[in-house]
Amino acid sequence: MASDEEDFVFHGTPIEREEEIASRKKKAVAGASGNLRTLPAWKQEVTDEEGRRRFHGAFTGGYSAGYYNTVGSKDGWAPQSFTSSRKNRAGARKQSISDFLDEDEKADMEGQSLSASSQFDTFGFTAAEYSRKQVEKEQHERPSAIPGPVPDELIAPVSESIGVKLLLKMGWRRGHSIKDVRASSDARREARKAFLAFSTDENTKETSDSMVSETEVETSLDPQFSEDIKISESTPVYVLNPKQDLHGLGYDPFKHAPEFREKKRSRLSANKEAGFRKPLSMKESLFGPKSGKIAPGFGIGALEELDVEDEDVYGGYDFDQTYVIEDEQPAKPSNDNRLRLTSKEHDVLPGFGAAKNSDYSMERFNPPKIPKDFVTRHKFSGPLEAETKPTLSAPPDVPPPADNNLKLLIEGFATFVSRCGKLYEDLSREKNQSNQLFDFLRGGNGHEYYARRLWEEQQKRGDQSKLTIDVKPSSSVQKMTAEERGSLLGEKPLQRSLKETDTSASSGGSFQFPTNLSDTFTKSASTQEAADAVKPFKDDTAKQERFEQFLKEKYKGGLRSTDFNRVNSMSESARAQERLDFESAAEAIEKGKAYKEVRRATERPLDFLAGGLQFTSGGTEQIKDTGVVDMKSSTTYPKREEFQWRPSPLLCKRFDLPDPFMGKLPPAPRARNKMDSLIFMPDTVKAASARQVSESQEHKKETSIEEPEVEVEVENVERPVDLYKAIFSDDSEDDEDQVMNGKIQEGQEKKNEAAASTLNRLIAGDFLESLGKELGFEVPSDVPYQEGTKPMEEENKSRSKPESSSEKRPDRSGFKEKVEEKTSSLTLGSEDEKSRKKREKSPRKRSGGNDLSSPSESSGDERSKKRSSKKDRYRNNDSESDSSSDYHSRDKQGSRSRRKRRESSREKRSSHKKHSKHHRSKKSSSSKLVYSSDEDRKESKREKRRRRD
Amino acid sequence: MSATAELPTKEAHVLKGHEGAVLAARFNGDGNYALTCGKDRTIRLWNPHRGILIKTYKSHGREVRDVHVTSDNAKFCSCGGDRQVYYWDVSTGRVIRKFRGHDGEVNAVKFNDSSSVVVSAGFDRSLRVWDCRSHSVEPVQIIDTFLDTVMSVVLTKTEIIGGSVDGTVRTFDMRIGREMSDNLGQPVNCISISNDGNCVLAGCLDSTLRLLDRTTGELLQVYRGHISKSFKTDCCLTNSDAHVIGGSEDGLVFFWDLVDAKVVSKFRAHDLVVTSVSYHPKEDCMLTSSVDGTIRVWKK
Repeated sequence: MASDEEDFVFHGTPIEREEEIASRKKKAVAGASGNLRTLPAWKQEVTDEEGRRRFHGAFTGGYSAGYYNTVGSKDGWAPQSFTSSRKNRAGARKQSISDFLDEDEKADMEGQSLSASSQFDTFGFTAAEYSRKQVEKEQHERPSAIPGPVPDELIAPVSESIGVKLLLKMGWRRGHSIKDVRASSDARREARKAFLAFSTDENTKETSDSMVSETEVETSLDPQFSEDIKISESTPVYVLNPKQDLHGLGYDPFKHAPEFREKKRSRLSANKEAGFRKPLSMKESLFGPKSGKIAPGFGIGALEELDVEDEDVYGGYDFDQTYVIEDEQPAKPSNDNRLRLTSKEHDVLPGFGAAKNSDYSMERFNPPKIPKDFVTRHKFSGPLEAETKPTLSAPPDVPPPADNNLKLLIEGFATFVSRCGKLYEDLSREKNQSNQLFDFLRGGNGHEYYARRLWEEQQKRGDQSKLTIDVKPSSSVQKMTAEERGSLLGEKPLQRSLKETDTSASSGGSFQFPTNLSDTFTKSASTQEAADAVKPFKDDTAKQERFEQFLKEKYKGGLRSTDFNRVNSMSESARAQERLDFESAAEAIEKGKAYKEVRRATERPLDFLAGGLQFTSGGTEQIKDTGVVDMKSSTTYPKREEFQWRPSPLLCKRFDLPDPFMGKLPPAPRARNKMDSLIFMPDTVKAASARQVSESQEHKKETSIEEPEVEVEVENVERPVDLYKAIFSDDSEDDEDQVMNGKIQEGQEKKNEAAASTLNRLIAGDFLESLGKELGFEVPSDVPYQEGTKPMEEENKSRSKPESSSEKRPDRSGFKEKVEEKTSSLTLGSEDEKSRKKREKSPRKRSGGNDLSSPSESSGDERSKKRSSKKDRYRNNDSESDSSSDYHSRDKQGSRSRRKRRESSREKRSSHKKHSKHHRSKKSSSSKLVYSSDEDRKESKREKRRRRD
Repeated sequence: MSATAELPTKEAHVLKGHEGAVLAARFNGDGNYALTCGKDRTIRLWNPHRGILIKTYKSHGREVRDVHVTSDNAKFCSCGGDRQVYYWDVSTGRVIRKFRGHDGEVNAVKFNDSSSVVVSAGFDRSLRVWDCRSHSVEPVQIIDTFLDTVMSVVLTKTEIIGGSVDGTVRTFDMRIGREMSDNLGQPVNCISISNDGNCVLAGCLDSTLRLLDRTTGELLQVYRGHISKSFKTDCCLTNSDAHVIGGSEDGLVFFWDLVDAKVVSKFRAHDLVVTSVSYHPKEDCMLTSSVDGTIRVWKK
C-alpha cells in the first residue's frame, strides 16, 4: 500500500474517513459548547457543524476574518439600513461590488482606473476627447482615399509639438476649436513642422515603434499628443460628410432619436454601394409595406395593426411638413445624379478628357400630325348612317300642324322613313309630287314638324341600331345612356307603355328614371292582370279567388296584410300548402309571361325597341326580382315604414317610461333567425326564400330520419326552463294571441311551417309544448321530469282522432286514475291530452315487438316506436335497471308516481293507438305528409283550446 | 340683410391646440363650455367665449369621433376609432367606464336627458344603449335593424333616432314600441332635431340637407348648395329654428332659411373640410371645427 502511494501524485484533497469526520464533529460540538470565545479574536477558529473551518470574508478569503462567526465588527454584518415611509419611499437599491469590499480592497481596485474626476474636468475635456476618438474610429471604418492601411510611421509617437505648446500658451485648449482659421492653419503647420522634425530626429525610434499599436501610444507618457496629430488629420472628416439634406446648418433631426441616425447612415452607404437609389422611406421601413396614407402625426402603437381606418381620409392638409421624417427625400435625386456624373468623369481614361460638347444627342421626333379632318371613330357607311349624318343637329322643336290628319301622316311617315332609309323619302317625294298631302316633303306645310319628327325617330333608331347591331362601338366621348349600358351588359329590355315613349322621345332620348321605374311597376301589375287571366285554379273558384288576392298582395308590396286570419276555415298548414301552390303558380305564370315577352321581342324586335327601353339585369327568370327592385325604387322618397320594436325593460326604466310590452311574453329572438329576417323583406323575396326554406327542410327531413337516436337523447337531457318557455310561448301566441301583429304572426306561421316540415321537429315540438305547459303552469314542482318519460311521438297521431273504436284495457289499476286526478291539478284540456298520450302507450307495451316488426310504417314511426317500446320494456320490468341509455336512468327517479298516472290513463284511450297507426301508415314520406300531419296537430290544438274554454 | 345680422358670422375666437383634424366640437348643456375631439386622440375642454383651453383628456387609442356632455356637466362620453365608448369624469379627467361591444368604429354618442344611458352609433350597423347607472358593461339594448353604418344618433325624451348610410332615419319610440323607418334614398350623414321637436334635419351624402316631418315622415324641405359627399359633416338648426346650418367640404358654412330654403348666408369658416357645426343652446353663437386643426367660435 505504502509503495503504491509513493508512485502516485495526488491532486485535490483526499476524501476523509468516517472516523475523522466523527472526531471533528466531536471537536465542533466541544467548541460550540466550550470556551472558544474565551480565546482572543484572532485565535478563534470558526467552524461549521461538521467541525470544518468555516469560510469567511468573501474576497480575500480570510478564514479568520472577523470575530467569531462575524466579520468586521462585533456585531457582524451591519445590515443596510432600510427605511421606507410613505413620503420617502425606498427605491430598489442597486448593489455594486464596492458594497462588498473592504477599504483596502477598494483602494486596490481604484488604483486600476485613473481618471480626472469630474470636478477637475473644467472644460469637459474628457468628454471632448472621447467624442473625438469616436469620430476617429468612424473615420477609420470609412474607406479612405488612400487604399491600404495608413502607414504607421505617420502616427509615430512624438512628444508634444511646439505648435501645440505654443497654442496652449496662447490660450488654446485641447478639444476646443480654433476660432481663427488662420491661427488653426498656422497651428497645423507648426504641428506638422514639429512632427517632421521629430520624425527625422528619432528615425530609429520610429522604425522600432512602427509596430507599436495605438493602444500603446495612448498609454505612453503623452497620450494626448497622438490625439492632437489626429485632430489635424480628422478635421477633413467633417468635410467628407457633405451636407446633403435641407436642414438648417447645425440642425440635427436625429438629436432625440439617435437610433434613426444609424438607419439613415446605413441607407446612405447602401445607396452609395449599390449605385442606385432604392425607394425606401422611413415610413415604409417602420410600418411595413402597407401602403395608404397614414393620418398625419399620429402613429399607431407597436401592437396595433395599421388598418384602413388609419388612413387619412382628409387628404388635404399635410402635417408632414412640420415633421422631421421625410424631408431629406427631395435632395436625394440630385445627389445621386451628381454621384453618377462624377463617376462618369472619373471613368475617363488617364490622359483623356471628357468632351465638353458631345456629338451624340438624343434625336427627338415629333409625333405625327393628325390631319384636322381625321375622325377617330370609323363609321361604316350604311343606308342608316348615311342619313343620320345630316340630321345630327337637332332641328328646332316645332308644334305639330293643326291638321290632325296631317300630323298623323307626318309622324307615320317619319317613322317609316327612319326605318327604311332616306331612299324611301326621296322615292315618295318623287311619287307624290303632285299630292298635296305630301307637301311637307318638299318644304311646304308641316315640313319643319316633319324634320323634327324624322330627327327624333332617327335618334331612336340610332339607339336601336346600337342595340341590334352590337358591333357598332358606342362613342366613348358621349355619356353612356342606359340603353348602351344595357346592351353592353347583354340586358334585355322590358316592354314599355306608349305614353312612356313620348316622354322619352321628347326629352331627346335622355331618360327620366323615376317615371320609367314607376312604369315598370305598373307593368308588373299588368303581369298580375295577365296572371289573373290565366286562372290556374279554375276548378276551385274559392281558391282562385284567394289566389288572386294573393297575387294582389304580392304585387302590392310592403307587408303582408293580416287577412290570413280571415280564412279561418282552413287550417294553418293547409293555408301554407296553398300558399306554396300559389307561389309556384305565380312563378309559372310569370315565367310564361316572360317567355312570351321574350318571344315577342325576338319576333318583332322593332316593336319594343321603338319605345323607350328598360333593362332587367339578365334573363327571364329574374323578372320577378326586378319587379321587387323596381317596387323598391319606384316609391318616392322619403318612404316611411313601421315595424315593431321592442325596447328592453331596462331601457324603458332608464328613460322613465312604462314598458309598452310590459307583461307580454318575450318575442321570438329577432333577426338572428334566417326566417325571421325575412319578415322585413319585400313579400316576393320572402315568399321565395320561404319556399327555399321549406325545400331545404324537406331535405332535412329526409336526412333527419337517420338521426332519431340523437334526438331521443336530446329530448331527455334536462332542458333549461327558458327553452321550454320559449317554445311554449311560441305556441301559446299562436293559440291565444291571434290579434298579434301581422308580421310576427307571419313569421311565426312560417316557423310553424318549418317546424311541421320535419317529422322530428314536429315530435319534439309537441313534446316540448306539453312539457312546457306542464312545467310552467300546471305541474306541481316535485315532478319536474315526469314528462321526459312520456312518449312524445304518439301525440299527433292520437290527438287527431279523439273518438275511435275503444279497446279498453282495464288490466291495471283503475284506482290510480283517481289518484292522479287528485294529485295533479291539471286543467282539463291538457290533462285530456296527456292522458291520451299515455293511453297509447299501453297497447304498445303489450305488443312492443310487433310494432317494431311491422313493415308498413314509415321509418319515422318505426323510430318512435322503437323508442317507446324501449320505454315500455323498461316499464314492464321495474327492477331491471336499464343503465345503457341515460334517459332511462333519469326516468327512474320520478317514474313511480308517474307510472301510476300513466297506467291509469292507459286503459281509457288505449284504443287510439291502433287507429293512429293506420292513419300514419297511409301517409307517405312526401312533403304532403308533413302538412297533413301538421294540420292534424293544429286541429288538435285548436280542439284542445276549445275544450279548455 | 336683417336676417344675416342675427346670424353668428363673425369670428370671435380661434381655438388651437388639436394636432390634426378636429372631428367634432360640441357645446355643453348651458353653452358655457365646449368639448372638442379629433384625430390626435384627445378630447379638449374649452371655454370658447374666452378662447381658453381648460383641460385635455387623453385615453383614446385612436381618433375620437364624437363627444357629448351630460346636462349636469359632471360626466361626458366619447367614442371613436378604438371601438369603445368612454364614459369620463369631467373634473378628474379619469375614465369611469369603457363600454366595449361595437364591432367597428363608433361614429356618434349621445346621453339621454337624465344622463342615465349612453347611446352609441357604430360602423357595425348598430345602435347600442349603454347603462351608466349600473356597473354593467353590457349594452342594455342593441338596435341592429340598420342595414349599414349608423352615422348619427339623436335622443329625445322618448325616442332614439338614428341616421344611417343605408339611407334611413329610424326612429325608435319607446312608448309604443315601434320603429319608424324613413327611407331617404341617400346615405344619411348627420341628423339633427329641430328645437320644437317636430322635424328632423338629415344631412345626406348627395350634398343635400333634408327636413322631415317627424310625425308623418313627409319631406318638408330640401337644402342645397354646400358640398357633402364623402366626409362626415354636421348640420344643425338655429335656436329659433329659423335657419338651417350646414358645413361644407370646401370649408364654407351655409345658412339657409328654413322655410324657403334659400341660402341666406355663406362664408368661409375654414380652409378645409368643416367637420362639425354646433350651435349654442341659447345664444347666437356657433362652433365650427375643421380638418385644419382649428375650432372657430362665431358670434353675431
